[in-house]
Amino acid sequence: MSIDFYWRLPTHGCHSSIHRGSYDRGDWSPPGPHNIAPGFDRDHGEDGFTYIDHLAEIAKAAESAGFLGGLIPSFPNTDDPWVISPLLARETKSFRFMIAFQPGFGNPVHTARMTASLQRATGGRTLFNIITGGGGPAQLWWGDSFAHDDRYGRTSEWLDVFRGVWSGEDFSYKGRFYEVERGGLPPLLRAEEFPELWFSGSSEAALQVASKHADYYLSWLEPFDQLSDKFAKVKERTAALGGEQKCAVRVDLVARPTEEEAWRDIRLGFENVTDQTRQQWRGQATDSVGAARQAALRPSEARHYEDLIVAPNLWGGFNLLRGGPALGIVGSYEQCAARLDDLIQRGADGFILAGTPHLEEAWRIGEEVLPLLGHDASALLQAAE
Amino acid sequence: MTIRTYWQIDTAAEPQRAEPALRPALPGLVRDQRSSTQNRFDYYAQLAQAAAQTGFDGVFLPYRRDADESRIVAAIIARAAPRIHVVPEFPASVGSAVYAAKQAATFQRSTHGRLGWAIAPDEDAPTRAAEGDYVDADALDGRLDEFLTVARGVQTSRPFSFAGQHFEVDKGGFDAPLGRASFPTVYLQGESEEALSLSARHADVHLFAAAPVERLAPLIEQLDSLAVRAGRSVAFGLLQPVLVRDTQEEAGQEAARQPIARGTLVGSFDDVAERLARFSELGISHFVLSSSPSLEEGYRVGQHLLPRLHSLTGAHRAVA
Repeated sequence: MSIDFYWRLPTHGCHSSIHRGSYDRGDWSPPGPHNIAPGFDRDHGEDGFTYIDHLAEIAKAAESAGFLGGLIPSFPNTDDPWVISPLLARETKSFRFMIAFQPGFGNPVHTARMTASLQRATGGRTLFNIITGGGGPAQLWWGDSFAHDDRYGRTSEWLDVFRGVWSGEDFSYKGRFYEVERGGLPPLLRAEEFPELWFSGSSEAALQVASKHADYYLSWLEPFDQLSDKFAKVKERTAALGGEQKCAVRVDLVARPTEEEAWRDIRLGFENVTDQTRQQWRGQATDSVGAARQAALRPSEARHYEDLIVAPNLWGGFNLLRGGPALGIVGSYEQCAARLDDLIQRGADGFILAGTPHLEEAWRIGEEVLPLLGHDASALLQAAE
Repeated sequence: MTIRTYWQIDTAAEPQRAEPALRPALPGLVRDQRSSTQNRFDYYAQLAQAAAQTGFDGVFLPYRRDADESRIVAAIIARAAPRIHVVPEFPASVGSAVYAAKQAATFQRSTHGRLGWAIAPDEDAPTRAAEGDYVDADALDGRLDEFLTVARGVQTSRPFSFAGQHFEVDKGGFDAPLGRASFPTVYLQGESEEALSLSARHADVHLFAAAPVERLAPLIEQLDSLAVRAGRSVAFGLLQPVLVRDTQEEAGQEAARQPIARGTLVGSFDDVAERLARFSELGISHFVLSSSPSLEEGYRVGQHLLPRLHSLTGAHRAVA
């Protein structure tokens, strides 16, 4: 058995330290003397680098440090994964581009052509994190007014068409949301491997679509028992349809030589969180079931970082330090590896890991944590026997 | 007038070049070490670098249903070739206008603003159906109008709301830093009254298919006055295939040897430069030139035709 490990490209800027609230890598915070990509040259002019140059550094670090590739998230104020991937295609060797994508945003026939072209450019290094949108005002911001369950129906049809035009030249389809008459990719394009699909979504509608289309069912980290149940349910459902469902976890790590150092960094990060960030943390309108499952974890008032420790090595305040899910793993290298081993025991077949700063932490986790994996699991197995 | 020149990179042209499955096999006595990682995109990058090195201001990537997708190729070659502008052509049926604009913003941020958008002319009904595009024929202009209105709207204003027949946005628009990106230069085409009127409202550059000066003159005049009425100005461009050699005779010989595109200007460097200069007197300032094979002809045109054209039009190469 082998497990797929992916890293993440931060598409909303990056911090040079988990302690800092400002994005001093990229231009999401006002420019300053410490900022890079873009930064200032010695004459205080722009140095000519842009954020893509920093993302290139992270991608190259990740592929060298042992990651298969990276998730490239997409939110209203991030750079876009469909452009980042081809921009970085020729300066990476094995890095696989996991494009986070809401299928409703692109014509499925044209998107298949784009994807096959990207496969040709990269030697088959494209895959997708299919997302169906958080709903609420953000969905209208994107120009998408579909209701929650309709969006999943649309995603399902979209994937039917996307796969259909990839498989033949004379594909026709008539659905509620999409129609195609005698479409299909030309032979050179459809000769490419169909991309792997990682599927997110925690609602009933999402799970149904995942069973039909997903290679990997991807979840944010949740308390381990809750996650085990979710994975078991998804695997069971897909097995009932005659398939085999792989599962994956997306999780941030703070891995340090000792546990004390790891919690110290969490404490320093927590103490620098502004009141404004805390306000935003309390609720944004969404119909995302995954977000609600995360929100349910939060104590309503956290005064100390310790208030957010939900289990050994599990901290529930990561979304105070950066956008995204709340729960992450904190500990020594050995503890972080042991927690990942636990997750593998509980059904995880793949991971998307991340840490701040993304460049240096790609090396650290690749060099210090990944090599420890499997030892703890085999010890557990021996103990059981 | 500043003349801008573009070389056409056609993803469907010279299909055997750098295409591992199509390139001619070498005989066994030739030691062949071409690696499996070499592919068609090496050729596209080489074409873009050739265009940059031989003095073109940009490259134009026509929309091809049966070959690599123009915006993917555009991003790859923009990173591979410095300085030049990159203009992929794509249909307005690609999907969400907000999403297209967002992709453009990242492209602009990552390339110091070198992106152009050329919207492909409408296809016939069976082709649109094969593309999953079920907008009625008489609604296509309206869809394009809305597509560009929304795309520019979210890039340049916040909050931006819009409710049309094809697109709807509520309190949209990009925040900083994406909102600081410049909207791509928009290139539109077509000769119908509707096409010219769309250009008057939306195009930065209107591209004409190759045609004689006499035929273009009234269209230019018509679009000029429509643009004035819309309170805008639109530049004019020409999609012009060429076949140039040292002498008229050599060019003629070459033309007899190969199929050439309709409207190709065949002639000596001097002769074709003069004919292009006549278009520039008419007000045409963007020249999208093409010839096959793209690499060799690109060098020829860049090294020998462009300097003559620039000297005739008194314009220096535009600095990107």
